[in-house]
Amino acid sequence: RNSVNRPPTPDAAEDLGKEPMFQEIINIKLIESGEKERLMELLRERLIECGWKDEMKALCRAFIKKKGRNDVTVDDLVRVITPKGRASIPDYIKAELLQRIRAYLVQAAV
Amino acid sequence: MATGNPLYANPKLCKHLADYKLRHALSCYKSLQNCLKTTPNGRTSIYRSETKITRCCSCNGYQGRFLLCLICSSISCSSHALLHAQSENGHDVAVDIERSELYCCLCSDQVYDPDFDKVVVSKIMMDMPNNTHVDDGIRRSSKRRKLNSLMDLDLKKSKHLVLMRDRREKSCYPLGLRGLNNLGSTCFMNSVLQALLYAPPFRNYFLSGRHDRETCRKRSSDRLCLACNIDVIFSAVYSGDRTPYSPAQFLYSWWQHSANLASYEQQDAHEFFISVLDGIHEREGNGRIPTKDNGDCQCIAHRVFSGMLRSDVTCMTCGFTSTTYDPCLDISLNMNTNNLSSIDVANKSVRPNENSTRCTLSACLDLFTRPEKLGSDQKLYCQNCKEKRDSFKQMSVRRLPLVLSLHIKRFEHSAVRRMSRKIDWHLQFPFSLDMTSYLSSSIVRSRFGNRIFTFESNEADTSPEFEIFAVITHSGMLESGHYVTYLRLRNQWYKCDDAWITEVDEAIVRASQCYMIFYVQKMLYYKANEDWSCTPMSSRKDPFFPIAGCC
Repeated sequence: RNSVNRPPTPDAAEDLGKEPMFQEIINIKLIESGEKERLMELLRERLIECGWKDEMKALCRAFIKKKGRNDVTVDDLVRVITPKGRASIPDYIKAELLQRIRAYLVQAAV
Repeated sequence: MATGNPLYANPKLCKHLADYKLRHALSCYKSLQNCLKTTPNGRTSIYRSETKITRCCSCNGYQGRFLLCLICSSISCSSHALLHAQSENGHDVAVDIERSELYCCLCSDQVYDPDFDKVVVSKIMMDMPNNTHVDDGIRRSSKRRKLNSLMDLDLKKSKHLVLMRDRREKSCYPLGLRGLNNLGSTCFMNSVLQALLYAPPFRNYFLSGRHDRETCRKRSSDRLCLACNIDVIFSAVYSGDRTPYSPAQFLYSWWQHSANLASYEQQDAHEFFISVLDGIHEREGNGRIPTKDNGDCQCIAHRVFSGMLRSDVTCMTCGFTSTTYDPCLDISLNMNTNNLSSIDVANKSVRPNENSTRCTLSACLDLFTRPEKLGSDQKLYCQNCKEKRDSFKQMSVRRLPLVLSLHIKRFEHSAVRRMSRKIDWHLQFPFSLDMTSYLSSSIVRSRFGNRIFTFESNEADTSPEFEIFAVITHSGMLESGHYVTYLRLRNQWYKCDDAWITEVDEAIVRASQCYMIFYVQKMLYYKANEDWSCTPMSSRKDPFFPIAGCC
């Protein structure tokens, strides 16, 4: 195969015989119990409520307007709004979700 | 559903997708249909086993967007989709697992195919058993039964999602509580429908079959009668089936009636409410039902919701008052903004322990019935003085309806500044409302000072005491908020959030941001509460269908 098509360098952690990181374990637990789906629903609800989704929509529209409708792909949009999106999430939403995850982990550890 | 923009109806396929379709026809779409999982809020995703963590075949990553190749079913994350398409010839087209949307790996872009969407939508329809969809060519009942047995797990899962926290109490829910699916920003419609479904006199009328769909259909072949559609909804909701119902036919019918409001955008719930009542009146009230002597319309919408407002304009010079009476379907109240200081005006969230004179419903009603000085540019002609004079105007309620609908004007549109905003302040509202002090008799009497004599005694027929039964709340921003209805049945509050119905504590309701509040006359409320118990009915004045399958 061409070197161009080589997959990107994997994480250092994966070199160590694929030891699952803590983050990954939590993710697996969340998915298996279905909690992740509930958290996603909650997050969606909160982000819509506080107007974040609309801000993102507006950003996308502005970008499309600038670049031209036929020159934009979904990947472009995701790439452009991801940093702004992550930065503009209200703190109270982050706090609420962290609290939920914490509570879940506490009761899952028992 | 409406076809909408023709640009969306026939998108141009990228050449990779076109090639794929030539080679594989629709066979893969159909096989994909078996893996689709729908949630009540309309989100359709590819069903993966609960324990399997989605991982990219190239980088083994577990985060981000995942795409399922339609040829070999291998999963790639969005960074490596191109890699997969390049390394395997012909594996161009994939499906986004979370959203069930087509993606072309070589174009690195989302692509659209009406045939694919048709397959997905028909699956959604199949998962909603009682949906009476308008253009229904896709559904076949036998196919549905076969798929239902295959999709046993999925259906159980979506029912689980609907009644998540209160599964154990599902069987003891009162009659007729049923979620309504959101058909595309239609929470404004769902919220109003839930309130209408529980307005006692309105509900009794439809459940006792007083609107005869057969004779109605025979009389008019052109436009669908809105009341017939409501009758259909009543039958569906009170059928005992608890799975969420899609009022698609009603939506279509309402679109035909209110063409200017027909779109997938969010509408104003209050506007919708008025529009629906008008629609019912239009069909029912036109000459068919004999009007009473005083000219009151006898259609069900007016019989239940129509009241009478009185407007008095008084000349400030001589005191001459001219009175006019206007019928009304509801009362729109301005929020009492005067009490709050300038600091609080900027502060969107009013904390409970702060200002003691916060917004209450009685304050708004007081504001509504307060004498309002008309500006000096609005001088009205006084018949006594024979010239234009400064005057003041006062509103009061001449006749209360059976169901009192109060609309809180939270949306301010300023034509001057060309902007709109939403007033987010919390409004405190009582569960029991006494309208005595807002009646014309009380208002007019108070003009003469503190007197004992009775005024306009014919108002005494209708009791001024009301009990709340529904609240429509609005959360979020002006253009993109969400409407939720809270219903009070047998002293238990239920939250109706589109397809999701849950029991909630009354504290939640009190803390919510009310937009429309529905009160019913106290006598009717208590009578209705008896009707809503699960025990079989003895003979009553208003015949009420005993429906099995409740407990």
